[in-house]
Amino acid sequence: MEAQQRLIAAHVHLNLLGWVGLSVLGTLFTLWPTILRTRIVDGTATLARRCPSLLLTGLVVAAAGLSFDARWVALAGLMLYSAGVLVVLVPLVRTALRERPAGAAAWSVAASLVWLLAALVVDILAVAGNAPHEVFAALQPLIPLFLVGFVGQVLLGSLTYLLLVVLGGGPKAVRANGALLERGWRARLVCLNLALPLTMLPGAPGAVAWAVVLICALVFVALAMTAVARAREVTVSPAVLGTGVGAVLTVLALVFALSGTAGQASGVGPTGQLRTVEVALGDMVIEPATVTVDPGDALVLQVRNEDAQPHDLRMDNGARTPVLGPGESATLEVGVVEDSLEGWCSVMGHRAAGMTMTVLTTDFDAGAPTDQRGHSGSHPSASAGHTESTEAWEALDLSGEMSRGWEPLDPVLPPAPDVEEHEVQIRVSESEQEVAPGLRQPVWTFGGTVPGPILRGGLGDVFTITLVNDGTMGHSIDFHAGALAPDEPMRTIAPGEELTYRFTARKAGAWLYHCSTKPMTHHLANGMYGAVIIDPPDLAEVDREYVLVQGELYLGEPGGAEQSARIRDGRPHGWMFNGTAAGYEHAPLPAKVGERVRVWVVTAGPTSGTSFHVVGTFFDTVYKEGAYLLRPGEDGGAQALDLGVAQGGFVETVFPQAGHYPFVDHDLRRAEAGAHGHFAVGED
Amino acid sequence: MEDALWAGVRFVHVVSAMVWVGGQLTVSLVVLPLARRILDGERRSTVLTAIGRRFGRLTGAVFLPVQLGTGIALAWSVGVTWASLAVPGHGRVLVAKLLLFCGVMAAASLHGAANARGRARLARTMAVTSLVASVGVVLLATLLPRI
Repeated sequence: MEAQQRLIAAHVHLNLLGWVGLSVLGTLFTLWPTILRTRIVDGTATLARRCPSLLLTGLVVAAAGLSFDARWVALAGLMLYSAGVLVVLVPLVRTALRERPAGAAAWSVAASLVWLLAALVVDILAVAGNAPHEVFAALQPLIPLFLVGFVGQVLLGSLTYLLLVVLGGGPKAVRANGALLERGWRARLVCLNLALPLTMLPGAPGAVAWAVVLICALVFVALAMTAVARAREVTVSPAVLGTGVGAVLTVLALVFALSGTAGQASGVGPTGQLRTVEVALGDMVIEPATVTVDPGDALVLQVRNEDAQPHDLRMDNGARTPVLGPGESATLEVGVVEDSLEGWCSVMGHRAAGMTMTVLTTDFDAGAPTDQRGHSGSHPSASAGHTESTEAWEALDLSGEMSRGWEPLDPVLPPAPDVEEHEVQIRVSESEQEVAPGLRQPVWTFGGTVPGPILRGGLGDVFTITLVNDGTMGHSIDFHAGALAPDEPMRTIAPGEELTYRFTARKAGAWLYHCSTKPMTHHLANGMYGAVIIDPPDLAEVDREYVLVQGELYLGEPGGAEQSARIRDGRPHGWMFNGTAAGYEHAPLPAKVGERVRVWVVTAGPTSGTSFHVVGTFFDTVYKEGAYLLRPGEDGGAQALDLGVAQGGFVETVFPQAGHYPFVDHDLRRAEAGAHGHFAVGED
Repeated sequence: MEDALWAGVRFVHVVSAMVWVGGQLTVSLVVLPLARRILDGERRSTVLTAIGRRFGRLTGAVFLPVQLGTGIALAWSVGVTWASLAVPGHGRVLVAKLLLFCGVMAAASLHGAANARGRARLARTMAVTSLVASVGVVLLATLLPRI
């Protein structure tokens, strides 16, 4: 990316200063005295032979310096080139001193050379003040000034002179043509050169300045066409001419009228109202997070970066601010808002970290009756989500086969290691996982899998976790099993950074851990969770122990508009045990008749818990959120372990007969959307 | 009641524009060719000058005040503000329409001035320019979702 930017900078220099600049400078040796109607001054020929090598060397050095990230080499090259330009100017100035410039041609060319010198000064400052890969971005807004001020005016001046020569027709005709081409030239020259720097102004003043520049150019074109028509003795009937002028005016008005409206749906008519809202970009947050406008209102956001690092604001209708440094502001013309819009900071990782905003229209809750477009609701993401969900359901074939080579996440929970100090490194990575039969989905993970590693220990154990962020955005970790001030250990770390999180397991339970970087919903919805099992002191021995972490499945690009809308509405595409919807349907959990089986369940959400049930058996032991609700030997039994979001516990059962015992979240919407698997129970 | 009032204002705005553009079309496409064919030099110029003057007076005395008055009122009624004019969409179409209308008025004035100075070619060119651009104004008006 940086290399590409450097090459573009070099390319622009070679083209503008080389291809354009050199040919203009070369031509001026002879054209300038001709325009001034005088002879070439002595010594010009020698200079003309020497200058090209100076200019070329400077240019090549500058381009090489820019290409190879050598700022000072590039600067030296530019200095050399500028020196070459100054040398070229010597005979031109001497000529002008001998014969004072008069007339449009001479003054246009002179003005263009002033623009060239100004451009070189600006260029030198830009190269000195920016890294080579930033040079193009710094100069880009100024390139139109160079093109119009230098190239355009040199062309205008030369044409003013050369047209007379080309049209010819005797001294009288030349004088008449000259008078025609020079009509109002002083005013045009002054207007153009004054308006050109003003085109840099934002908003209406800049547009007016461009209009002035354009009019100056068009007047010359009109005059030149008239001169040519006269010379060729072309006559156009007033009707045709009038129609032409009228049509041109209409087309210009139409182009202007329709500019800036491309891509906007026309379902709602603009109200003509303008809403201006101040928006602050902060530390991974955009305030206000929601802006509400009437549909059809035009929206302008006054965006200010109040954070210590660069941010921008991009709307999903394409409107965007440039990247704003700390303290910088920009005016973002969002345009007429007809449907809700999402906005976010497009700096890598910031959107996922919570820098999002929403523009809502006031018909958000108006519902179907007032909606004439035939959607069931007028909320665009809901309607978009509707079509998207159909596709997702088509893609999500829970009865299908897992891909060849798919390995289920091992649900077996080994006993706690026989240590009191657990040192674990967890590397955050953004990878891909088969989240449903045949369906791979990008996921954000702790340790490469969803869920992340399951940690197990006893009361009083100390866990020292080193979190390493190998991802592309900020991440963090929050262990529910420990009690400590969140400020430092739960902080978000940038890609490449690491932190140490140390907690003592003072309470038993089945604990969730998760990424707590904003927006947390996104980080959990995309897989950043895991479990910590702290055994109660009196935990009985059983024959088999499994752990199931239940989470939600949101298809689509992580952080994308579709997925975000789903997460916001709490409408997952599916539910998963240990990161795969219906995965344990294809890889059943083994058990034998008469064996005591313990299943630890932790719910990650982010929006739903579970009602964990095993079909065909009941639980004689239920441990939920740190307490036994039921123990073996008591009269009662349990049918389901109900857990809210971010809760945990375990159940125990003894399978009475051989067979296939489905386990489900008995909220059957979730079971049917992937929260199911089964135990394959064999004879003892 | 209020809706009916605004419908009335809109009606006046549209009818006035219709009469003005239609008047230009009638003069250019019907009256002028016939006058050229039927009337001899002096009478033709007298008649055409009289037509032009009368049309010009009507423009200044009736058409312009009516269009500006009703136009401003309509813009006010749909909540157009100075700031909203700068925004792409409705505001920008309205600005384009107003600019083109200024162009029409400039062409019409040039037509009158050129006639007065006996510059027939320029006068005729500007008359056609004004006519074509007027149709352009109507086109832009149809782009305004709510007039």
